[in-house]
This record gives sequence, structure tokens and C-alpha cells, in this order.
Amino acid sequence: MNPIRRIYLDHNATTPVDPRVLEAMLPYFQGHFGNPNSLNHVFGWEAAEAVDLARDQVSRLVGAASSEVFFCSGATEAISLLLPGLFEGNHSPRNHLITCVTEHSAVLDSCRYLEKKGVEVTRLPVSPNGQLNLNQLADSITDRTLLICLMHANNETGVIHPLTDIALIAREKGVLFMTDATQSVGKIPLHLAASGVDFAVWSAHKLYGPKGAGAFFVRKGLVKKLQPRIFGGGQEKALRPGTLNVPGIVGLGKACEICLEEMPTESKRLATMRDLLESEVKLEEDIQVNGQGSLRLPHTTNIAFQGIDGIKLIRALPGLAVSQGAACSSATVTPSHVLTSLGLSTDKALSSLRIGLGRFTTESDLHEAVSQIRSAVKQLRQSPS
Amino acid sequence: MKESAAIISAYDQACVAGTRTVLATVVQVEGSSYRRAGARMLVDELGNMTGAISGGCLEGDALRKALLSLVQNRNKLVTYDTNDEDDAQLGAQLGCNGVIQVLFEPVDPLNANNPVELLRLTTSIQRPVVLVCLFSLMIAQDQPGTLAVIEEGGQHLGNRNVGAWESLITAEAQEALLRKQSQFIRFQEDQHSLHAFLQVVEPPLALVLVGAGNDTRVLSGMAALLGWDIFIVDGRPSHANPARFEPACQVMVAKPEELLAKVPAHDRTAFVLMTHNYPYDLAVLKLLLAKPGLPYVGLLGPKKKFYRMMEELATDGIRPTEAQLAGIYGPVGLELGAESPAEIALSILAEIQAVFAGAHAVHLRDRQAPIHHQEEVRFKTVIL
Repeated sequence: MNPIRRIYLDHNATTPVDPRVLEAMLPYFQGHFGNPNSLNHVFGWEAAEAVDLARDQVSRLVGAASSEVFFCSGATEAISLLLPGLFEGNHSPRNHLITCVTEHSAVLDSCRYLEKKGVEVTRLPVSPNGQLNLNQLADSITDRTLLICLMHANNETGVIHPLTDIALIAREKGVLFMTDATQSVGKIPLHLAASGVDFAVWSAHKLYGPKGAGAFFVRKGLVKKLQPRIFGGGQEKALRPGTLNVPGIVGLGKACEICLEEMPTESKRLATMRDLLESEVKLEEDIQVNGQGSLRLPHTTNIAFQGIDGIKLIRALPGLAVSQGAACSSATVTPSHVLTSLGLSTDKALSSLRIGLGRFTTESDLHEAVSQIRSAVKQLRQSPS
Repeated sequence: MKESAAIISAYDQACVAGTRTVLATVVQVEGSSYRRAGARMLVDELGNMTGAISGGCLEGDALRKALLSLVQNRNKLVTYDTNDEDDAQLGAQLGCNGVIQVLFEPVDPLNANNPVELLRLTTSIQRPVVLVCLFSLMIAQDQPGTLAVIEEGGQHLGNRNVGAWESLITAEAQEALLRKQSQFIRFQEDQHSLHAFLQVVEPPLALVLVGAGNDTRVLSGMAALLGWDIFIVDGRPSHANPARFEPACQVMVAKPEELLAKVPAHDRTAFVLMTHNYPYDLAVLKLLLAKPGLPYVGLLGPKKKFYRMMEELATDGIRPTEAQLAGIYGPVGLELGAESPAEIALSILAEIQAVFAGAHAVHLRDRQAPIHHQEEVRFKTVIL
């Protein structure tokens, strides 16, 4: 029996390491294994140079100064350092945080933690296509608001929030602005310095880098506003102490360099394929794209197959790796909080699948996926159980 | 001794000892910094440093970067952001607000046109030249480094293959020489860019001290620290005796009419007439007035002496033009309240420094603008 050809279409969950990234990383496991903080020998100097280069590569991709980029294990850690760190380091009466219902659980759980510590949290709703109401955002700001925390692109629908507009509102009111850019870095253009963002976080493994590496951005001059959450040897200006993960950092740097170079063509290619996928799948009846009409990530779609249980659909697609929502919450049968926030019923939310195309997705993969999905949908609709 | 002379001398010693060296050059500065582009430091493999690229805050890391470039035998560009107030190691320490790009080049003694040899060329040639340094802000890219010396007319001396950009760089170097101002050019071709630091290196200032009295001993001793070429002339062999002066000074006996054949007299020459012998000083002044384009002639003595000289020149039918008068500094020196010979020497040297730098001698605290000339840091982009 031929093994089933498996097509990976869950690039919002994670991505394979680009071979060029792996190649760049390998020397730093053995030959160049030094600790970048070893100041007395070549092993340390080589490692420090590799970290400097990676910081340069990362900062170019996100439009920051390299001194504003900090390395860590990934977005979740960065959020856990920054959100509580900012409120614990804050000595003003400002004690209010504004976020949004469609945020990733790393942000939402940090907010719950802060709420227990006495921070007031406002969670803004979104429209049926996933958009924020910026007037409502502005109206929610009080003289006690310290921070606005809104993601750049949603991890389930791919809907993009207008960073620059949000930053402008925040600036006008003297409020800080943090963004979870995990899904957008390397996928769509981002210029942190120009956009007016104060803090940003992202992970290497979403952009064809290794797992366990990530970075965050702290606008120049804001480090002193943060109370460190972990303690040690002072690395990363004492915000994220601990020996640097040099191979991971090198991988993140290389991955960012590749994204900067290939993003214009890659995003166009993926958007074309994504649009084709959506229009082909919609040839079946009662199909709806969640978040459609909004500005979305080029490689992501979230499709509701009305009347079909998403889990059954996934079972009927053994050759496709697609998902029912965020990788973190997919162990449970509760519907996606993102989709219900868009106003979807529980049934409809549970009938939705997220499909994320990637750098190595081919046209033949796409056609195969479309044909499998369409035949599975037909089959499930013909024989409802 | 001037920094470049100190570097060349340290390099020569290292070569004799068989010690390998790296030349560190500040190639670009944005914002404020202690040292400007063109500051250099030689690091040897034992960690000895000659010269300086900063006020001291960068030297520790620069030493490690230099040694790494030696191990890797590869040119290296390192960015120092002293703007970074969040960085307890670099920022805030000096209160500088600049981004400083430093190029590190291992020096190959077998290459007759290595960076230190090119630097030597700029100091030995008695004409203004441009020292060409090419680098890329993409730190992982190859850093071409210090490659050539270009003189007026576009002739390349000691060319180490400038590459595809040669004609453009030569043209920009001519402009730099014309303006007497170092140029920073970014050459852009598609996605690739290359930066050029075209450093105008002028021959050292020549200081001609007419009169070899004891006050000249003090003055020449202080001037020697500035790295200027010093010439001392007097009619008296008892005074114009090399044993009385610093070894760097060229001391000669001459009558006034022999003077100009023995000393330089160009737009980088400062004359100070201090023989305490009125007829001798006047005779020299008369000769100098016949020589156009001298930017500085200082007359030691009171204003009365200056007026008397002007009157006597007038009776001889010599009337200095406005431009000539602008170059005559009598009494010589800045008003510093100087009394002793050393204080007077300080006031004279400070005035010469200000005149040749085109600076107004005022308190820096009274200036609104930055200390260093802004126009010096003009960035120009050439798209190909």
C-alpha cells in the first residue's frame, strides 16, 4: 500500500525550518559553540559576532534599530516578560490595559494574571469580519490607561489590525502600544520604527526558523519602564538574562534575512494560491470565509463549512494537515474564541477550518488539497450521520 | 606626534618584532561622538593599542573585535550605538549620541599597499590627497577596506584594486579635494550598496618660526606635540643651533633674503616673526607680502610695532591689500591673559589652530551648534 501523501497546510501553527536556515545554524552547535558572553577567547568572540549579525538581520526585517531587538525563546515568553514587566515596573497611577477578544491566549492569559493583581482590563470586541472599531478604542482610553495591547495579524483568521492607526491613537493619548506580531513578521511588511509601536514580539518558528527562538522589540528608551521578570547574568540588557541560544538566534537571523528578500514575491504567490483555494472551495454550497472583506495575511484562510463538523472533515482529509484553530487550544472541543468573537455560532465555529499555505506549498499541493476538500465536503453532506 | 605618525611607528616596530596588527578606522559617524570619521587605532596581537577611536568607551570591545578579525583574517565592520541609553555598557557613559561605524582591517606586511602603508603615503606626500575606504553597512558582506590614495588630477597612488566603482570614486575624490572636505558616498545598485569614506588628508601644517630665542624654544616644544612640521630660522648661529630645540624641528641659519628658499610658504604654512630684531622682522615681512596666498603671518610685539611696520612699508611704496592684511596677525595670539613665554606660546598656537581650522575662537559653551562641523558629515547617494 502506498503511504498517504501528506500535505502540510498549517503554517500558522508552525513552519518547517528552511534548509538555508538549518545550514546557517549547524556550525553553532559544535565548531562555533562558544558563549557570546565569554570575553576572553575567540570562541566567545565568534559567538558574539554571530549574535550581532543576527540582531542586524532581525532588525532590518522589522524596521528597528538593532539595539531595540532582544532575543528570547519566543513570543509567549516575550509577552510574559513584557506585559507583567510593564505593569510591575510602572509607578504611575496608570493601571488600565486595553486589549481585544481575538488576541492569542498568551496575551489573554497574561491579562487574566494582571487582573488578579488589580489591573483593570478592557477587552474590545471585533466586527463580524474581525475588525476593531478604532473610535471605540479611542473612547476606551482613560487617563489611567497604561497600555494598549493588540495583535498585528490574527493567528486564526489572518485579519490584520491597522498598527499605524492604533499607534497614532496611543501616541495622542500618551499611552504605550504593544503588538503581538507573531503571525505577521516575515509575511507582510512591518516597520516598527515608522509605525510608532512601542513593544512587539514574535517567534522564529513561524517564519521558517527553529522552535525555541524568538525576539521582542522595545522602543529606544523604554527598557527602564520594564521590571525584569527573570534574573541572571545581565544578558539582553538584563531583560532576558540567561546564556543566549546562539544556534537558535543564528537561525532566526537567517530566517529573517530570507524573509526580507523573498517576502514580496512569496506573499504575492501565496495570496494568489490562497484566493484560488477559496474560490475553488466556494464552488461547493454553504461555504463562507471567516474574516473575508478584511485585510488578511496572504497565506491564511479560515473557512466555515456550514452543517459539517470540522473534526469529521479533518478526519476525512487524512492527506492534509489543516487545523480547527490555534494549535494551543485544539485539544479541546470548545469552539475557537476568535471565531465566536466574530459572531459565529458554536456549530458554525466548529465547522470551520484554518488553512495556512507556506513557502514550500506547491501548486500541485494546492490542487490536490482543493480536490480532497471538495470531495470530502460532498461526501459528508450526502451522508449526514 | 600625530596619531597617524604614532600608528605608523607602532606598525614598523610590530613588523620588526614579527607581531601581527589590525588597523581600526572610524569610517562613519551619525550624531555626536568624541572622535570623528578618520580616527584610527592600531591593535597588535598582544593587545597593545596605538591611537584612539573613541574617548575610551569603545576600546575594550574594539580590542576583541580587532583580535577576532586577525584570527579570521577578514575585514570587519562593527556598529557602535552610543545613542543607546538602555545599554549600561555603551550608552550613557560618555553622554555621546552617535552611531559609530568602525572598520577593522588585518594588516598584511607583505602587501606593499596595505592600509598602514597607504596611510604612510598620505603623510609622506606633501600634497593634499584622498584616502579611499570602502565598506558595506551590511555587516556580513565583504568589506573592501582602505584601498587607495588619490591625488589631484585623479592619479591613483598605491592602488589596491578599487574595483568596478573606480571611475566614480575618482570623480568624487576630485570633488573632495576641491572642497577640501572629506566625503561620504553611498553607491546604490539594485539592492546592493557600498559606502565610500573619502578622507581628505592634507599635509601637516608647516610652522615657520623666524627667530630662535628662548621663547621660540618654548613655542616650538609645544608645537611639536601638535605634529606640525616646524622650521626655525635665525641669522645668529649661536641661536639657530639644533641642540637647543626638539629633534623634530628643522633649525637653520639664514639672512632674511635667503629665508624663502629654505622654508615652505604655501596655504598650509604659518609664519611667526619673533626675532626681537625689528629690521630683521620687517625685512621678512616685506618678502612675505610679495608672496600671495599666505594665510597666517604673526607678528610678535605690540600693536605699535605693527603700525610702525605698516608706515615704513608705505614709505617704500608697499601697501598690503585687504586680503593680505587679513592674513597678518599683529600682535600675534589670542587674548588669553598670557604673560609667561609658555602662556604666550599657548595663545599663539591656539590662534594658528583656529585660523587653519576656519574656526572662531570662542567658548564652546557659547555655541548653539554642535562642536564638529555638520557639513563635514554630508552623505551623498549615487544610484547606478
